Amino acid sequence: MLGLARAAGLVALVTAVGLLALNAAYVAGRPGAALDPAAWGRVLSSTQFGAVWLLRTGVLLLLTALLWAREREDSTADWAALRGESWLLAAAGAGALAWAGHAAAVEADGGAALGADLLHLVAAGAWLGALGPLHLLLRAASIPGGADARPFAVLAARRFSRMALLAMLVLVATGLWNAWEQLGDIPSLLGTRYGWLLLLKVALLVPILALAAVNRSRLVPALPGDAETVGRPAMARLARFVAAEWMLALAILAVVAVLGATPPGKHEAPWWPLSFRLSWDAAALPGVRTRVLIGGQIAVVGVLGLIVAVLLARARAVAALAGVALVTVGLWVALPPLSVDAYPTTYRRTTVPYQASSIAHGEALYRSHCVLCHGPAGWGDGPAGAGLPKKPADLTAPHTAQHTAGDMYWWLIHGIPASGMPAFGAVLGEDDRWDLINYIRGLASGEQGRMLSATIEPNRPRIGAPDAAFAVGPGPSRTIKDFRGVKTVLLVLYSLPDSAPRMATLARAYETLQALGTEVIAVPRERGEAPIARLGGNPPVYYPVVTEGAEEIAQAYGLFRRNLSPEGMKPDPSMPAHMEFLVDRAGYLRARWIAGEPGASWAEIPALMAEIQALNRETPAPPPAEHVH
Amino acid sequence: MRLWRVVLLLNLALGLGLLMGFLAWGRPLGEARRELAELRGQAVTPGVERVFRARGVVRAIVPEINVIVLSHEDIAGFMPPMTMGFRAQDPKLYDGVKVGDVLAFTLRGVPPNVVITELRKEGML
Repeated sequence: MLGLARAAGLVALVTAVGLLALNAAYVAGRPGAALDPAAWGRVLSSTQFGAVWLLRTGVLLLLTALLWAREREDSTADWAALRGESWLLAAAGAGALAWAGHAAAVEADGGAALGADLLHLVAAGAWLGALGPLHLLLRAASIPGGADARPFAVLAARRFSRMALLAMLVLVATGLWNAWEQLGDIPSLLGTRYGWLLLLKVALLVPILALAAVNRSRLVPALPGDAETVGRPAMARLARFVAAEWMLALAILAVVAVLGATPPGKHEAPWWPLSFRLSWDAAALPGVRTRVLIGGQIAVVGVLGLIVAVLLARARAVAALAGVALVTVGLWVALPPLSVDAYPTTYRRTTVPYQASSIAHGEALYRSHCVLCHGPAGWGDGPAGAGLPKKPADLTAPHTAQHTAGDMYWWLIHGIPASGMPAFGAVLGEDDRWDLINYIRGLASGEQGRMLSATIEPNRPRIGAPDAAFAVGPGPSRTIKDFRGVKTVLLVLYSLPDSAPRMATLARAYETLQALGTEVIAVPRERGEAPIARLGGNPPVYYPVVTEGAEEIAQAYGLFRRNLSPEGMKPDPSMPAHMEFLVDRAGYLRARWIAGEPGASWAEIPALMAEIQALNRETPAPPPAEHVH
Repeated sequence: MRLWRVVLLLNLALGLGLLMGFLAWGRPLGEARRELAELRGQAVTPGVERVFRARGVVRAIVPEINVIVLSHEDIAGFMPPMTMGFRAQDPKLYDGVKVGDVLAFTLRGVPPNVVITELRKEGML
């Protein structure tokens, strides 16, 4: 036993040196560095791995020294001290690895992830480390000549059984927590390499748990039975099962080694492997909700049946069977209507933010590739769409319940053969596709924005304001998003000379507006020379006048020119001379004033101030989603 | 020596080592962060004449009170980008400068009391 521990200590030290050599080669990027003392020094002194390695190797050295240099155990105090200290050092050595793993790289909530990782490592070490010696002891006790070892083997098996149950509970709990931290959602589990490796790990764990259940419920109680007919055969089988568990555990370790070198799933774009997905939003469609509710109820009754089967000894088989049948039927009723077509890129998240420059580029692409079928407003009424097998989709319809941005991304590459939508995979690059998707989001938001007015209405559905980068003269580039949580933004799209009086009014009111926590950003609508000089110095204009990025902002926010007037209902309404938008602190477009439109107006500054004060009184909302659903 | 005494001494040594390590490296880290924050707070050493160069765009000129309002870029070591008024050493510097002009200007003085000593027109916005 002690010999085994001594040997394990040496093996651990040798592999630690090997690991350092490998890491040195990896960091330096050349195989020769594995034997280069300078490269070792660099790894040890300047990487987290190096610091953890030093700590861990120090602990392992102490442990091995302790195991080898043991003197006599004269008293119980010595006995307890040796074992306690060995346990402590071993746990420290295993736990230290937590600081070299992915959990230590989790930014937020790092302490909890680190703690979970530490527990996971110590529990795995305790369980795995005990399996080997247990197998040896059981095998020695199960041969005819091993009668002396039998009482010890029975005792050890019972103790291990208790310890392994605890270790498994810890392993499963912390493993689930870690998986959630590193994956974040179901698509990452099913659609990334990291997720697949985790599934493989779970698949390897299932037979281990099955073996453990047999061991615990049948074999361990049979061990002290009659030696010839019950006890020894049970012990021999247990020894084989423990060896099998150990093999499977080694396979899991191999998977873990690969996992450690794989980027966690939440950092990868998931590749959805199924042709459907379940969307809770689909329950909003007519008729679906009733079916889902009925199916859900049946499934709940089935789950109750399963619980009864666990609790009741009598009629267990009947209850279990009925439970399984009811759950199956319930899911069979409830799930199909929730299933929605899905594609490999369904859960792809956009890599291009919803920004004016992306929208403007998307608009140019839309004009040249999409407008013929989908129409100038995206209503699906383009002239070339009339002859297609299916009417082109209305891109402004509230269809987010059915489709993700990743779905659109897929259709842009591969088209929709059944409906006649062509594939643009060869024409549009990855960024082009996201630009188009951002433009379509803007188009749909603009359609929704028709009900915007010069009055803040707290209960109106909120429209996320497109972000935009801009600069004033030689000043630094800023974005509208920079003002989030800090100021409300009055975005003014103006054109001279029509807007001149209004710009002068705003210049006089600027100090007051700033005092209310509002930044005014003036965006010249027309491309022209010297916007600042053209606004003139009387009265002096101190609010930012955008000299870089104005064109894109005017184009993106021009999508929000539609209103409920007859002109705003046209597919391509004319651009008003002067528009102003209020963006709240959370980043939503909350109100719009088109100069000259009937109804509420901001022509008088107090009216504008009243709306800003209404925003200031609100409790802040969570910011809009970064990407389309 | 008895084994349990060896183990006890070992643990004492480990604990002491950890404590010393914390005292040696753990505390200075907090102090270093504080110092960094302080350094960021006071970038300007008081009482010394300094020269700064930056660019800005003219937003307004008020010769009566000798003030020119500029939207300027970051002035390294002095102030972040903003729109604010500056005084000129000599009001004649304003001659020929109009709203919308992009200027490269030089500030001289003991912060925060600096004046524009030179300016050059670079373009118009």
